[in-house]
Amino acid sequence: MRKLGIVALGAAAALTLAGCAGGGTGGGSDEGAEIRVWLVGTDTPDEAREYLVETFEEEHPGSTLVIEEQSWDGLVDRLTTSLSGSDSPDVVEVGNTQASAFTSAGAFLDLTEHYEDLGGDDLLPGFVEAGSYDGKFYAAPLYSGARLVFYKKDALAAAGLSVPTTLDEYIANGEALAAANPGKSGIWWPGQDWYNALPYIWENGGEIAVPEGDTWDAQLSSDESIAGLEQVQQVMTNASRAPKDGQETSPEVGFCDGTTLQLSAPSWVKWSILAPADAEAPGCPDQEANLGVYALPGKDGGAAQVFAGGSNIGVSAKSKHPELAVDALKIILSDEFQTIYGKGGLVPAKLSLADTLGTDEVAQAIAAAAGNAKLTPASPKWADVEAAGILQDLFVNIAQGGDVAALAATADEEIEAILNS
Amino acid sequence: MTTVDRGLDAAPPAARGDHPAARPPTGPARRQRRRRGGFTPYALLTPAIIVLGVIVGWPLVQLIVTSFQEFGRAQVFGAPPEWVWFENYADVLTDPVFWAVLVRTILFAGVCVITTMVLGTLIAVMMTRLNKGFRLLLTIGMLLAWAMPPLTSTVVWGWMFDTDYGVINNVLVNAFGLDEYFQHSWLIEPLSFFLVAGVIIVWGAIPFVAFTLYAGLTQVPDEVLEAAQLDGAGGFKRFRLIVFPYLKPIFLITAILQIIWDLKVFTQIFALQDIGGIRALTNTLGVYIYQTSIAGGDFGHGGAIAVITAVLLMSISIYYVRQVTKEEEL
Repeated sequence: MRKLGIVALGAAAALTLAGCAGGGTGGGSDEGAEIRVWLVGTDTPDEAREYLVETFEEEHPGSTLVIEEQSWDGLVDRLTTSLSGSDSPDVVEVGNTQASAFTSAGAFLDLTEHYEDLGGDDLLPGFVEAGSYDGKFYAAPLYSGARLVFYKKDALAAAGLSVPTTLDEYIANGEALAAANPGKSGIWWPGQDWYNALPYIWENGGEIAVPEGDTWDAQLSSDESIAGLEQVQQVMTNASRAPKDGQETSPEVGFCDGTTLQLSAPSWVKWSILAPADAEAPGCPDQEANLGVYALPGKDGGAAQVFAGGSNIGVSAKSKHPELAVDALKIILSDEFQTIYGKGGLVPAKLSLADTLGTDEVAQAIAAAAGNAKLTPASPKWADVEAAGILQDLFVNIAQGGDVAALAATADEEIEAILNS
Repeated sequence: MTTVDRGLDAAPPAARGDHPAARPPTGPARRQRRRRGGFTPYALLTPAIIVLGVIVGWPLVQLIVTSFQEFGRAQVFGAPPEWVWFENYADVLTDPVFWAVLVRTILFAGVCVITTMVLGTLIAVMMTRLNKGFRLLLTIGMLLAWAMPPLTSTVVWGWMFDTDYGVINNVLVNAFGLDEYFQHSWLIEPLSFFLVAGVIIVWGAIPFVAFTLYAGLTQVPDEVLEAAQLDGAGGFKRFRLIVFPYLKPIFLITAILQIIWDLKVFTQIFALQDIGGIRALTNTLGVYIYQTSIAGGDFGHGGAIAVITAVLLMSISIYYVRQVTKEEEL
């Protein structure tokens, strides 16, 4: 406890100092204010960040906008503590599946009156729904990402394989690649990466959890889900050489050193792979011609139902400069800012900007994947399931070759305990 | 102990001897000074007590209050909480997961403390035998290990144990030919996870123990050791019968501090769980409290677990404080 006291003292001192700094320049009015924007992960391109800072500071002379990059890891925890504190950031990005944990708790400013200004019915409907609670609009869509399969063209050709058209073919390809290239991953899949497992469950007709009256019924141990989870285990054990308990961060490392031949990842991973070789997170631009991409195929052909990852963005209810924060949000949802997302391979927040994705291979794959995307259970408590790491644990155990039916039954119990608590 | 204490008692007269002028006014003046002294300590203590009250006391009261409430994320953002009194405690104490975490934490802390104490003692003894140059080298090395923030050291150790690119797997495979360690995951088995966590924690804790004990070892009178040596006592016997009794209070106090620190270990486990392993099988009390309250948004139950942990640590601390005051009274 004594140590905690020291930490608290440090935190208190930091807060006081930060408060002083803010008060000194801001003086309570909106003039000369500093707006803090939390963007999560490296998804948002630098060009967009610069555009946001420059535009905001042009429109509001004297005020500054600071972008603070957060990591996806432990985001729910950090938002819970920071949004409730007196030193809350003003504008925050949050994962679309996590948004309802905060909209339902009153952490975000009610943006209903700004709905039309922010884009109105042009905004991605699924994300508007994720950012709304009780008929009020709290968090706007930021972008949507699609999960794509990246592969090495030469490896696929050397094994005499072609781009798969069904999920079974995809799995068989992965196994064949791994068998033909000992020590390499036919499909790179670290055990903690649960997002990639969802299509297998959905394509086999399973669900994570379905509403049943007022409660949720977890469905991972249904026959359909088990069939999907067994396929997951098959891929993880036969086709992947990734660490069985690893995270899905930095997929470009294995791709660039040649140990990963195929992997499924968010569309922006393309830019991680093609990053300059001397960048802070180096990529391998020489692989550009060899880098192929396609949408994960479904069980019966076509695109699989993949996880509709993406972000919402809202204004903290405790923001000291709510009007400036809303102005910053308007810049973020402007056509100019969102177009940069489109060019970077992320689906923009507005339906009318879909064509900014272009027409190349990646764009087509994104369009195919986004057309059939699906979400996690729409419960405010779903974020707690994610934060508790239940799904990470489940897939690490599955990757190790555990008994799928028993593991799924345990996970169901844990998920229901949280969703129905 | 007697020798050391007599030395302490002997100090004030010597000091007084330096100022003979201060001696004559005995009796009333002295009593007056004592009366004044009766107030001064409290006046001096007040700022510290206020700071402690605000920084430790207030959060502790908040924690206890929260542990009696149903306190979720909505309450964090201002919704009025509902009082459930002992329901949170009943839930926690009947939850087998909590007991598993508690037992795991105690076992892990026990192993860490014993290893730290044994290795720390050995290093302290070694430091008394080393020549100046090597002792300086060892001291600097240990200071660096001690100065390293736990998060940084965990990340670095995590890299060394990395499945794909870690130096440890690489050396085991390429230098020792142990092919089963090719892409061996060190964190996936709970026992192996705690081995790695234990290495990181013990590595970080040894410097404190070694420095403290080394300071103590220099206080053991050489003549007693020499006499014992002449009487035919070997190295281990001398340590067991002379050094250990002399340093018993230091051993006790460092051991208790280690127990308290290791029972509430957080950073190393939390950071390591991110790198790999299965959370449900590797949670310790500190991490479990964090997961329940902050990550899971259930501050009521998290608060109850935290209060139980605080009581557990406090009972050990009380023993520690009693030992310290006993030493002062002797």
